[in-house]
Amino acid sequence: MTATQRANRALTLGERAAFLAEKSKEVRSRVLSMIYTAKSGHPGGALSAADIVTALYFDILRVDPANPRWPDRDRFLLSKGHACPVLYTCLAMRGYFALEHLDTLRQFESILQGHPIRKTPGIDMTTGSLGHGLSIGLGMALDGKLRGKDYTVYVMLGDGEINEGHVWEAAMAATKYKTDNLIAFVDRNRLQMDGCCDDIMPMGDIAAKFKAFGWKTFEIDGHDMERILRTIEKARRVRGKPACIVANTVKGKGVSYMEDRFEWHGKCPDTDQLACAMREIWGEDS
Amino acid sequence: MRPNAMTPATVPTRRAFSERMAEYGAIDSDFVVFEADIGYSTFSHLFGDRYPERYFNMGIAEGNMVSAAAGMAADGRTAVASSYGVFITMRALESVRTFVCYPDLNVKFLSSHGGFTPSIDGVTHQATEDIANMTTLPNMKVLVPADTWAAKKLFDVAMQTPGPVFVRLMRDPILDLYEPGDSFRLGGSHVVIEGSDVTIATYGDILFPSIEAAQLLAAEGIRAEVLDLYSVKPFDREGLLKSLDKTGALVVAENHQKRNGLGYELSNFCLKNRVVPFDNLGLEDTFAESGSYGKLLEKYGLSKTCIAEAAKRLLRRA
Ligand SMILES: Cc1ncc(C[n+]2csc(CCOP(=O)(O)OP(=O)(O)O)c2C)c(N)n1
Ligand SMILES: [Mg+2]
Repeated sequence: MTATQRANRALTLGERAAFLAEKSKEVRSRVLSMIYTAKSGHPGGALSAADIVTALYFDILRVDPANPRWPDRDRFLLSKGHACPVLYTCLAMRGYFALEHLDTLRQFESILQGHPIRKTPGIDMTTGSLGHGLSIGLGMALDGKLRGKDYTVYVMLGDGEINEGHVWEAAMAATKYKTDNLIAFVDRNRLQMDGCCDDIMPMGDIAAKFKAFGWKTFEIDGHDMERILRTIEKARRVRGKPACIVANTVKGKGVSYMEDRFEWHGKCPDTDQLACAMREIWGEDS
Repeated sequence: MRPNAMTPATVPTRRAFSERMAEYGAIDSDFVVFEADIGYSTFSHLFGDRYPERYFNMGIAEGNMVSAAAGMAADGRTAVASSYGVFITMRALESVRTFVCYPDLNVKFLSSHGGFTPSIDGVTHQATEDIANMTTLPNMKVLVPADTWAAKKLFDVAMQTPGPVFVRLMRDPILDLYEPGDSFRLGGSHVVIEGSDVTIATYGDILFPSIEAAQLLAAEGIRAEVLDLYSVKPFDREGLLKSLDKTGALVVAENHQKRNGLGYELSNFCLKNRVVPFDNLGLEDTFAESGSYGKLLEKYGLSKTCIAEAAKRLLRRA
C-alpha cells in the first residue's frame, strides 16, 4: 500500500471523493494540453473515462510507481487504448515518469506512443486495437489465481468497442473460470466513431448482457466519484464470478462544446478552444 | 502523367477511392458497401450518404463484417468491405481467406491506413504486413494507388476484375502525379521516369520519394528508371523485364516489411528469370513506431536519400 493510499484510508468517502474531483480537474486539463501539443489524439473518450481512471490511480489501485512491475500490483488495462492521454496523465502525475514526457505524445521516439505499449512505465500491455483488453485481463486474472496472488485486474472497455465478438468470448471464459479478481468497466458514453452507438450498432442493455453471461453487474453514473468508489469496493467483494460496472458517462465530459459530440472523438482543439476548455474545467469565469 | 510538375494532393487516396465508389452506386444498383465504424475516416460515408439502404455499418466488428460481405456476395452481388488495413488483413484474415478468396467471391477491400501512413497513431494502426498477408492468398488481387487519379481509376479496375481485390490506401494526401487520361489495368505498371542505369520499382506512397531519389541521382549523372507497380499482384512481368533490359539493376522500395513484400516477390522472379544486382528497402524485421511520417521514412530507410544511396551501392557492385 502506498503512502497516499494509507492516508486515504483514514478519510471519509466524501473526503476521498472531493480529493479525487479536484485531481480530475488537473487530469482533464493535462489531457487536453497534451493533445493540443501533439496536434492529434482522442479527447472525447479520454474525458468520459477521466473520473474513473483518476479514482483508480489516486485511490483504488495497489501500485508502486517506483516499481512498475511489482508482482503484487493491481493491473489496469485501458482496452479502449485511443483514450491513452488520460492514462499517460495519471501515470505521470503518480510519478511513473516525468511530467515533461506528456509534451511528447505521439512524437518520434517518445515513450508515449499513439496507443499504449508495454515500454511505457506503468503499462502492462499493448492496447488500441479494440476488443482485446478483456481477454488479456482475463489471462492476467488467471495468472494471479495460479500464482496465489490477491491482486485485482481492472479493464476499461468502450461501449463501441464491445461490438467486437472477442469481448464476449472473454466474457464467457471469465465466467467459466470464476475470475472474481477481474473487474470490467464499460464507458457508456453512447457514442462511437461514426456516431451514436444506437445508430451504428445498438448494444441495448449492456448490464443485462453481461449478467446473461454470468457476471455480477452494476450500473452507475461514471462521473459521480462517491458512486465510483463505493461500487468498485462492492465489485471487489464479489466472489465466484467476474464483475462489470457499466458507467454512464458523457463523451467529452467537462468541456461543453465537446460534450456528447461524436465529432470530438479524435479531434484536436485549437488555441481558443483550449483556453475555453481550461476555463470550464477550472470553473473560472471568462 | 507529370513527374516534373507534380502538385500537392488535395485529398488522400482513401477519399478519392471513396468518391469514385459513391459515383459507382449509380452505375451498379446492386452494389453494396460494408463499413466497420470508421466511415468518416475511410470516407465510405460518401457512398452511405447517397445510398443508405445499400450501406451497412457493422460497428467495430471487422471479422463479422467480412464474413457478412461474403454472404452478401454469394449470389452474384459485388460488395466492398471497408476498414483500416491492420483490421482487414489480420483480425478478419480467416474470413478474407476462407470465405472470400477460397470461394472466389466479388468482395473488394477498401483498406485504408496502409503501411505506416497512420504514422502518429503508432504500430496498432499501421498496416506493415498487409501486402504479405493479401498477396499470399490464392485468387486475391492487390492494387495500390499512389495518388488521386490512380485511386479513382483503380476503383474501376477493382470493379471490372472478377473475384476478390484488395486496394491499399493511405491516410494523408501527398502529391498528384497522374492525369485523367492515364490508364490503369490489372497487371499493369507505369514508367514514371525513364532511365538506363537502375530500376527503382515501388508502389503507393513510396513512389514519391522514389521520384525524388531519381532526381537526386540525375544530378550525379545516374539515370534511374522509376517504375510504379500499382498492380502489386499480379505484377507487370513484361514491364519489369523491359525495364531491366535497359538498366540491369533493381531496387525495390516499399512501405512494408521487407519480408514477403513486393521486394521478396521480385527477387524470386529475378532469380528465376533475370539475375541482376538487387536490393530491397522496407522494414527490416521490425515494427515501426509513432512519429511524423517524414521521420519514419528517414529512420526506416525509405527517404529519397536512402533510396538514392541504395541505388548507388548497387551500381558500385554491378
Ligand atoms: C479493432 C479496431 N477497429 C477500429 C478501430 C478504430 N477506432 C478507434 S476508436 C473507435 C471508436 C471507439 O468507440 P468506443 O469504444 O465507444 O470508445 P469511446 O467512445 O470511449 O471513445 C474506433 C472505431 C480500432 N482502434 N480498433
Ligand atoms: Mg463510446
